[in-house]
Amino acid sequence: MSPDLQRLPGNPNPLRWLMPVVWLVLLGVAVKAMPLATPALEWLSPDTDGVVYERTAFTTLLWRHALTVGVAAVLTVIVGITAGVAVTRPRGRDFLPLVGQCASLGQTFPPVAVLALAVPVLGFGTLPIVCALVLYGLLPIVRNTLAGLQNVDDTLIATARGMGMTGRQRLYRVELPLAAPVILAGVRTSITVNIATAALGATVGASNLGEPIIAGIVNGNTAYVVQGAVIIALLALSVDSLLDVWQRQLTQSRERH
Amino acid sequence: MIELRNVSKDFGDVQAVDDISFSVPRGKFCALVGASGCGKSSTLRMINRLTEQSRGDILLDDQAIQDYDPVKLRRRIGYAIQETGLFPHWNVMRNIATVPKLLKWPATRVHQRVEELMHFLHLPVAEFAHKYPGELSGGQAQRVGVARALAADPDILLMDEPFGALDPITRGQLQTMLARLQARLHKTVVLVTHDMDEALRLADHLVVMREGAIVQQGSPLALLQKPANDYVDSLLGGLERGLKQAALTRVRDHMAPLGPTLPAQSRVPDGYTLRQTLSVMLRDHSERVTVVDTNDMPVGELSLRKLVKEAHTREGEAHES
Repeated sequence: MSPDLQRLPGNPNPLRWLMPVVWLVLLGVAVKAMPLATPALEWLSPDTDGVVYERTAFTTLLWRHALTVGVAAVLTVIVGITAGVAVTRPRGRDFLPLVGQCASLGQTFPPVAVLALAVPVLGFGTLPIVCALVLYGLLPIVRNTLAGLQNVDDTLIATARGMGMTGRQRLYRVELPLAAPVILAGVRTSITVNIATAALGATVGASNLGEPIIAGIVNGNTAYVVQGAVIIALLALSVDSLLDVWQRQLTQSRERH
Repeated sequence: MIELRNVSKDFGDVQAVDDISFSVPRGKFCALVGASGCGKSSTLRMINRLTEQSRGDILLDDQAIQDYDPVKLRRRIGYAIQETGLFPHWNVMRNIATVPKLLKWPATRVHQRVEELMHFLHLPVAEFAHKYPGELSGGQAQRVGVARALAADPDILLMDEPFGALDPITRGQLQTMLARLQARLHKTVVLVTHDMDEALRLADHLVVMREGAIVQQGSPLALLQKPANDYVDSLLGGLERGLKQAALTRVRDHMAPLGPTLPAQSRVPDGYTLRQTLSVMLRDHSERVTVVDTNDMPVGELSLRKLVKEAHTREGEAHES
């Protein structure tokens, strides 16, 4: 079967769920059955007593990590898409360069610096890292929202007007659905990067999958570091491949031949 | 009834449309003809207020269009364009349902109307309803575009080069379809085209534009009989004008009663155009044809001499008026 044939609507690739399932299973195994890897971990850190991180259960850490990234993602998506939409409307067009620059600034500003600045204001814990993640994750979403909306064919917008759609109807029925795959790509980048970045939260007392990594660095226990890193990587891959499936489904039916 | 009075449109320093006036009575088909950039599309877009005129008045049923709410105005005007403007994320059915849904018709009525239009435009529902615009051929997409423009049963239909991007065969088929449709629905239509033959074939009233201004307007026959200048003459095809004129006249309007002589061997149905009749004469090497009705009964005759003479007198009349 040719790749083109597989993408025809009504004939979706039956293997599209394969990768997310594989990553999710591996993630589940890593979280639930880390002691099985004891021999390998002992080889990594031969001089330590406990090689499997046990101070907090991995399920708890995973849950907290996902919650942190999730809350940050919801905030980023709301702020990012709203900003992108606002500055492409006639009334907000003057702010387009400003918003673009602010988003870029957010990403060039290192999350570590954000943490350092946020802690005195917000205190230790999860709040500063959520704040840093929101700032760090805005750029891809704002940039892709702008690109997605600006790429919508002017003819379609003129036709939508000509058919008698109000500005709001044009936005929700035509512009956003057409820009959705591009916006989703931005969301995907933002979330995936933030899953890794969230580990930094452990340095300011947030309890998440960064905890074993920081503990490992402090105690010179490489095994801890590897456990945290592996689970974070698997979580990032799972989420990324899930969003990938969604993105494909969005684009699938409307591909021009 | 659409009426434009001394309408102009400026884009910055460029005057795209220069003081034009014309009117389209209810149920009539008007074509704006001209080369690209002559202001015909801008004129069309002023009628549904996609662009606002700089000067002059545009009246719809004797009311200035500025008095209408633009959104409501557009929902009662069908709009079809060359690039089809079909929404790629919606299937054929949803695309056709655009305006009825904006007007919040009940779902069953929308469904019924969409299926009716698909039948009307020869788009089998089972085959096309769930296809996406990307899967359609140019002609099919254009038919969906026309169906969408007609969906809410508007009195007015604006079409911007609807068949411009199609191959000649498909274009011809769609023109036939549109002519048939208009004969049945009697919409008030404004069609923008650069194809004079398309305009002659479909329109009751032609408006020829050049560099933003109207060069000539009138019925297809009036233009063919007396083009205002060389430009209009060249658009009309120069030497071909005589034949094009013949193509617009039915043989039944020119035939003579059956004479005492034997009927000619060549027979033409009375619905034929003079052009088709002429072609039969050339084919059969015959200077005379017998005109027959739908039951193949002779109802009149036409000689080459009379045909040529009539064309002359007609032209004479046009000169006098």
